[in-house]
Amino acid sequence: MPHRWGMVVDLDRCTGCEACVVACRAENNVPTVGEAEAARGRAIHWIRVERYVDGEFPDVRVKFLPVFCQHCDAAPCEPVCPTYASYHTADGLNAQVYNRCIGTRYCANACPYTVRFFNFFNPVWEKPLHLQLNPDVSVREVGVMEKCTFCVQRIKAAEIAAKAEDRPLRDGEVVPACAQACPSRALVFGDLNDPDSEASRLAGSHRATHLLGELGTQPKVFYLQREGGHDRQDREGDQ
Amino acid sequence: MDRRNFLKTSTVGGAAAALSSCGHPEAPLVRFLPDEELVPGVATWKPSVCPGCRAGCGVLVRVMEGDAEVIRNGQHGVVRMGVAKKLEGNPEHPISQGRLCPRGQAAIQLTYHPDRLGHPLERVGARGSGEYKPLDWDAAISTLVERLRALDDRRAHATLAALTRPLRGVRRELIARFLQAFGAGPPSVFELFSDDVLRRANERSFGRRQLPTFDLSRARYVISFGADFLGTWNSPVAQSAAYGEMRQGRPGIRGTFVQVEPRMSQTGANADRWVPVRPGTEGVLALGLAHVMLQRGLASASSGAAVGALIDGWDAGLPAYAPEAVERETGVAARRIARLASELAADRPAVAIIGGAPLAHTNGFFNAIAVNALNAVLDSVGRPGGMRFMPEARITLPEVRSETSTASSAAREQSFSLLRDRMRGVTGPGVEVLLLYDANPVFAAPRAWRIREALAQVPFIVSFGSFLDDTSTFADLILPDHSFLESWMDDAPESGSDRAVVSVAAPAMRPLHDTRATADVLLEIARQLGGRVSTALPWHSYEDALRAAVQSVDAGASADAKTSADVWTLVQQQGGWWTETLESSSSEMKRAAGASIRRATPRFDGDETEYPFHFLPYPSQAFLDGSLAHLPWMQELPDVLSTAMWGTWVEINPRTAERLGVSQGDLVEVASSQGRLEAPALVSPGIAPDVVAMPVGQGHRTFTRYASGRGANPVALLAPLVEPESGTLAWAATRVRVARKGRGRLTLFAGGLRERPGGVTR
Repeated sequence: MPHRWGMVVDLDRCTGCEACVVACRAENNVPTVGEAEAARGRAIHWIRVERYVDGEFPDVRVKFLPVFCQHCDAAPCEPVCPTYASYHTADGLNAQVYNRCIGTRYCANACPYTVRFFNFFNPVWEKPLHLQLNPDVSVREVGVMEKCTFCVQRIKAAEIAAKAEDRPLRDGEVVPACAQACPSRALVFGDLNDPDSEASRLAGSHRATHLLGELGTQPKVFYLQREGGHDRQDREGDQ
Repeated sequence: MDRRNFLKTSTVGGAAAALSSCGHPEAPLVRFLPDEELVPGVATWKPSVCPGCRAGCGVLVRVMEGDAEVIRNGQHGVVRMGVAKKLEGNPEHPISQGRLCPRGQAAIQLTYHPDRLGHPLERVGARGSGEYKPLDWDAAISTLVERLRALDDRRAHATLAALTRPLRGVRRELIARFLQAFGAGPPSVFELFSDDVLRRANERSFGRRQLPTFDLSRARYVISFGADFLGTWNSPVAQSAAYGEMRQGRPGIRGTFVQVEPRMSQTGANADRWVPVRPGTEGVLALGLAHVMLQRGLASASSGAAVGALIDGWDAGLPAYAPEAVERETGVAARRIARLASELAADRPAVAIIGGAPLAHTNGFFNAIAVNALNAVLDSVGRPGGMRFMPEARITLPEVRSETSTASSAAREQSFSLLRDRMRGVTGPGVEVLLLYDANPVFAAPRAWRIREALAQVPFIVSFGSFLDDTSTFADLILPDHSFLESWMDDAPESGSDRAVVSVAAPAMRPLHDTRATADVLLEIARQLGGRVSTALPWHSYEDALRAAVQSVDAGASADAKTSADVWTLVQQQGGWWTETLESSSSEMKRAAGASIRRATPRFDGDETEYPFHFLPYPSQAFLDGSLAHLPWMQELPDVLSTAMWGTWVEINPRTAERLGVSQGDLVEVASSQGRLEAPALVSPGIAPDVVAMPVGQGHRTFTRYASGRGANPVALLAPLVEPESGTLAWAATRVRVARKGRGRLTLFAGGLRERPGGVTR
């Protein structure tokens, strides 16, 4: 049975520290664009932490929500691509083939999660910052869409290592950069086809939901809702 | 010709570089990664120590082959060598536990920064102009040695001084011993967001001058007074790891978390209850909670014992802290105080944390003692799910005896205020030579302290930092350090684990530039000075000194290592030394002692009518105190609560903004009795109407191409009020006024879902 890679995000563990955001940038050669281009909305973050602020002072509630490619089984970005640059792999990844991409940006418009980013110019790494670049990940050029790959280079490396030892992949052997960095272990990656994987187990939690699941995109990312039963009682008690 | 041969002939070869560095004092330090280990595409992992903050996290460095442009013996060339590609947490390390924070992830840019100083420099322009000319190391070191000999000839040894960022372990000891042996006072440390108030309070309450460690993973109730312990305070990675377990690590048990602060921090945003409180009244609230518990018999005064007895009125049940009185002072409703107290009493183990702004008022010491007393009432001191102190690591440089004196672990630091007065000639001895290591008081100290003027009085300043910043541009001579990845490293964390921990690591890669490890430079200077200085520092290199210190460890304490040589090998393999389990004997606390502490009300600079707002600068998620503002990854990190990038902003409550006619992004002027600045407004509900807040970190005059002249520096507004017990700056005690100036610009990350998700954010 092929793998079916998925991620579980425990919103009760997530603290909004953004270690995942920087870890992803470091792992995947995601360029910085500078202030002027960032002000034009051209900053690229394969993973970002959204925040939802409710209420007025002093009764303010904030929820953090790490958002990245949901690797949908019914991905809206795939059928719109005229060059098949956005396609589905056998193990369920929503992949982007950079050298097929001609930059129509249809996929970005179709994605309800706004996790696809366009390269408006060639990236620049001022020397010697280029020495940090990860040789396992290709650098994207102008005119190409990019987005979270679930660290496909780490998946492939683990598969090759397992194959060389003639054994199946173990649960926890593939860890994307965001999940590896996460101080509070809010991100758990694994094979959803393996009922014993930690990701599968957590995805079965009563707290599990999909982001915009009502759109029918069938994401492979599960969000475990925050708990906190005292909130309402606390508010009422103060009045 | 194949690629390998082409590279060999067209570059300064690794072997040639290795040979020509024989006899070079640095030679034993640089670990050349042999060519045969460099398999293209295959990574090796080497331990290192994150230099980003005081947490002292152990990291693993992913090293792969790369063609680096380097300088060897003054020659530019390309060397194929192992270069660092990524940092991860070291899974074996008790502090980081395999995890890292965003700043730790970005620390690799310290090594590859395009504006890093690559060789010694001598000032040619006016001080502060940043005009320097390159110098070779021999000339640079003899320049400094001659200066020190001149002091020696004039018997003016006491006019040498050192100012560093907070350092620990062997590096700190080497600097301290150098000064001691030369005849100068101990080194001074400058840190804007200092926790010295809490250390002193802990010494008073528990007999430990140390920051506490919290056993959050076993706590059921956590109340934090202002501490951004999931973001920037103390040991954020270790604390976040334990927090995750507190929330969802135990089947059927979810710990409750309450945050008390007037401006919602990243940590506060995670709280189940966010309790805004008037600035500086956190201690009163803590004692209000203790009062309710004592009155209702939820805890007995004796459980607080000596720690609580430090508070005036303890034995009588804290009569001055009844909920109604506390409500008047703190602004927290009496009913809410009563309910929080009963929850605290019921949901044991419970623990209280204090950090950040509550310590940075003129009554910070009282606030800290009050929270310590609350912990005593909760019976959380030294208990599972409570607070404790990390056992002290016993790795120190061995004593060196000579006929005249004994060089031993040197005395504590000299206060920064004393050094300031010495530089300005207010007190003797004056400062003729200042050794400056990565401290940036020109940026991060209040203007009223007149740091520029003080530095101008010092005849000779030597900087060892890797970058030209607001302070090091005053240096006459710059002897740049290696990056942490190119050097031996050591650190001795004071918090974050229940084991004793020392982080130690060998260089993970060869140096890119013509730099030298500061510890090695000091040892070289000691050798050239000769006499008692070289006797006190007999080690050939930082590595030798580290080995001597590590081998002094009691080998029995670590189960795996039986002999001292084994300890050294083990330390290099795992990236440090730590005990297997909690050493209860060394984490023992002494009984509190001393006169009782009276309630202290906070003082603020600025008249309330002229300056109606409390001003709250806070360590930014990306830059901490500004020392990481030069990293482009940190500049482009969207602040998690505002999504702002590449700039500074002023946080204002929506009602206040409406009253002032300010909308999001408008340029506002913030003025205190000390100065004024302009920055765009960020309208946020998570801040009290009478408070405005700004992240610290931007507004550098000089700090590389990425941070120079960017944003505004809130420190410029701070009044020079200090917390009297510790002498540290009361950085939360300034009042300001705010006015709209016009349209401004706020760069926000454009990302965001087009529609609000229903299910996930109910």
